[in-house]
Amino acid sequence: MQWIRVLGGPHDMTERSKTSDPGASGGDPLRQQREFARSFDALAEIFAFVRQALGRSNANDTDVYAIDMSIEELFTNMVKYNAGGSGRITLELECSQDAAVCRLSDPDSDRFDMTAAPDANIALPAGQRRPGGLGLHLLRRMVDSIDYDYSGRRSTVSFRKRFGSSQVVTETVAAKLADSANKN
Amino acid sequence: MFEIGYGGDETIAFSGRLDAAQCARAQAFIDAASAFAAFDFSQLEYISSAGLGVLLKTHKRLLAAGGRLRLVGVNRHIYDILRFSGFDQVFLVERAAG
Repeated sequence: MQWIRVLGGPHDMTERSKTSDPGASGGDPLRQQREFARSFDALAEIFAFVRQALGRSNANDTDVYAIDMSIEELFTNMVKYNAGGSGRITLELECSQDAAVCRLSDPDSDRFDMTAAPDANIALPAGQRRPGGLGLHLLRRMVDSIDYDYSGRRSTVSFRKRFGSSQVVTETVAAKLADSANKN
Repeated sequence: MFEIGYGGDETIAFSGRLDAAQCARAQAFIDAASAFAAFDFSQLEYISSAGLGVLLKTHKRLLAAGGRLRLVGVNRHIYDILRFSGFDQVFLVERAAG
């Protein structure tokens, strides 16, 4: 796939961006990539980038919410647990007609598979619940798959979100929650 | 864009997006707020797990005083997040009409 430089735009001074043209056929996925500072303050720019990347897709508002939130959970985990890492965090979005694949990549990290974190125990009484630990729990309920890869100090977490799949996921989760409640 | 302030009916009104970058500001406002009856989410578009942490901390404070956090005007996306996290059973949640 041919990478071309995105010129201009409000983020060009602070971010490095690439995009691939969907081509004359219009059938190839549109892939866009941008690097972001290792800071929570980058979230507003990330969400703007996601809007731009999904702009020509079939994503509905539920899909966009799920993608925004999944990216935020993964990005903020990378920032929180590897604040001292060098280099920017890369976000790549690949959109086809019916799905988006998102990849977040930290170029300088120890191996830490955040996708292996257990689900939060949501049955605990409020007084025993602690903030944190919900990010991956929620992400698993909003996307169709999550993967982790580690190579040469680079951690990459990716997920796939099929557009319009929210109701299916919701029903699946409802069944899981009912099963969990029955066991407790 | 995120805003927080006093709303009508003794509520604290949220608007925009409560993401991880906004939680410190939200928490500071809530901690400094006088008594309130509910959080008005009718203009809140988005909340992440970091925002849920703000709600849980507030709920625990109210719980210690014999109260419970009440959320009103909750949109369907945020309601799903509350449900997935089990907080729909912890807080009093009133969904937005429609």
